Amino acid sequence: MSDKNTYQVPIGPIHPAFKEPFMVNFVLDGETIVDAEAHPGMNHRGVEFMGMHRNPLKVIPLAERICGICSIVHQHMFTTATEHAAGIEPTERARYIRTILAELERIHSHVLWAGVAAHEIGFDTHLHFTWKVRERVMDLLEYITGNRVNYAMWTIGGVNRDITKKMYPKIEDTLLYYESLYGKLEDIFLGDTSIRLRTRNVGILTEEDALRLCGVGPTVRASGVRKDVRIDQPYAAYGDLDLDYVIPSSFGYENTGDVFSKTLVRLKEIPQSIDLIRQCVDGMPDGDIDSEPRKAVLINKLKKADGEGIGRIEAPRGEAFHYVRLEGGMEEVANWKVRASTYNNLTTYRPMFMGEQIADIPIIAACIDPCIGCMDRAEVVDVRSGERKHFSHEELHRLSVEKTKMLLGGLP
Amino acid sequence: MKSIKLPMSMDQLEAYFKKHLGQGIHDLRREEIKKGIKRKPMKLIWFTVDRKYFRKAVMLVSQIHIPHLSVTSGSDRGDFVELIYHFAVNYGHPGDEVSVNIKVHLPKDDLTIPTITDMVPGAITTEREKQEFLGITVKGIPDSRRLWLDENFPRDRYPWRWDETGMESMSRYVHDESEASNPPTAKNPRRGGDKDE
Repeated sequence: MSDKNTYQVPIGPIHPAFKEPFMVNFVLDGETIVDAEAHPGMNHRGVEFMGMHRNPLKVIPLAERICGICSIVHQHMFTTATEHAAGIEPTERARYIRTILAELERIHSHVLWAGVAAHEIGFDTHLHFTWKVRERVMDLLEYITGNRVNYAMWTIGGVNRDITKKMYPKIEDTLLYYESLYGKLEDIFLGDTSIRLRTRNVGILTEEDALRLCGVGPTVRASGVRKDVRIDQPYAAYGDLDLDYVIPSSFGYENTGDVFSKTLVRLKEIPQSIDLIRQCVDGMPDGDIDSEPRKAVLINKLKKADGEGIGRIEAPRGEAFHYVRLEGGMEEVANWKVRASTYNNLTTYRPMFMGEQIADIPIIAACIDPCIGCMDRAEVVDVRSGERKHFSHEELHRLSVEKTKMLLGGLP
Repeated sequence: MKSIKLPMSMDQLEAYFKKHLGQGIHDLRREEIKKGIKRKPMKLIWFTVDRKYFRKAVMLVSQIHIPHLSVTSGSDRGDFVELIYHFAVNYGHPGDEVSVNIKVHLPKDDLTIPTITDMVPGAITTEREKQEFLGITVKGIPDSRRLWLDENFPRDRYPWRWDETGMESMSRYVHDESEASNPPTAKNPRRGGDKDE
């Protein structure tokens, strides 16, 4: 290995199926990754700038549209931060409804991720299975809110629609459905030999790196880091609920921080979410769902408000954060900073990719759940000859599938 | 420094920062927002530090445990740019986490701040973002390339500034052209045509 050829491999940035257009630049020595650097910003839409030209009530639908998968996350954080800044208290019932919706979103996000992960390593049957079962929670969200995505449920001081007693049986039905399926999901993702071969000891993030790089969510909990905003700094109704950190060692596994551990953490969070929803339904307080239903009064109150606040919640992908400042007499939001989970997890890519193979790129890229299930194209540059070669997403995917087959003893 | 016993209470944190930062700390404000039926509090501490004490403040956070920096937010406040470093202290201790929000004011004629990436390696993303969005210079930043903005975006414009280096003159008010023709006023620096005037 004395005569090393290194290659640069930029992967990304644009593909219609990307949830977040994104590029990672790889430096390769043969098949092995020796360096990796993330380049985000391919689709920076200036959401914060737009938000700073609107009144807070108009920012809620904008915040909701930052992400399609976690549309609850951003409206939840923005309203929490604005309530904090303006000194408005949401009603207790609204806190419980918010918690139920946030946990339903966690279930659908984790099931969706499991499908993407299976696809990346060549198990499309599992992709179709998980995405089929995900429909049940999407149906429930539609039943409660009226929409499959962009739920328009949050408002400053509460929520827009109630969860009535009439809805409880349907919620319980869906929870029972996921409980009955959970064993199968575990068998597939934790028990299957071929999936274990592709995920064990791949994309390792050590506990120290996870902490130093300020990583968040299942990405770092898989390394044994006890960070979960729901427990550390409870928001919504989480302070009233009983929950514990989901880390691999709680279930008899090692906190290795590899792709397997990340899968484990996400799967184990599904029964936790089911339990949390049940606790919320059982303990739901009576009362109003909105502390100020008269929107004109609310806008006037927000216009007079002078203060700053933070909204910090545990999104399915990890801690996410909004900062809002309101100035007295100004109708627009004076300052708004949005920070999604992937923003902090970007820096964790480098240690995870180092020393791994090209064929592992798709699964490691997917393991932080960054919404880049589909990588568009990759370009290989031979730094010595200047020769360029393009890798399409299909080719990378094929390499990954071939590796799975090879590990299983079949012909590539 | 002797090891610190975790979790640190709000009183301990306040005393800790006041003791070590002395005259460099201003406007310390504590908040406990009680939430839920059990009224468990969400705890926050806000304070402003002079720029020369800023690295010391971050060092104090990093001596508690490996620091968790949520993000840095920044805004143009007229004569100065305000940066707020949002740290989380006591993570891993249920219900005891405290948001420590450290503010620094940078005057418009000297928009520089030292890097903290040696103490908080995860801060690189947010430091690069602040450089391109607010036009500040992070001294000693290991990588000062653009991160979010396109290479074609003008070098002398910063999306979160409200002065002449901001983006107002680049914005198009397609819904009301008259707003674009009016220059920003002192009362409303964001846009012209203030309806209250």
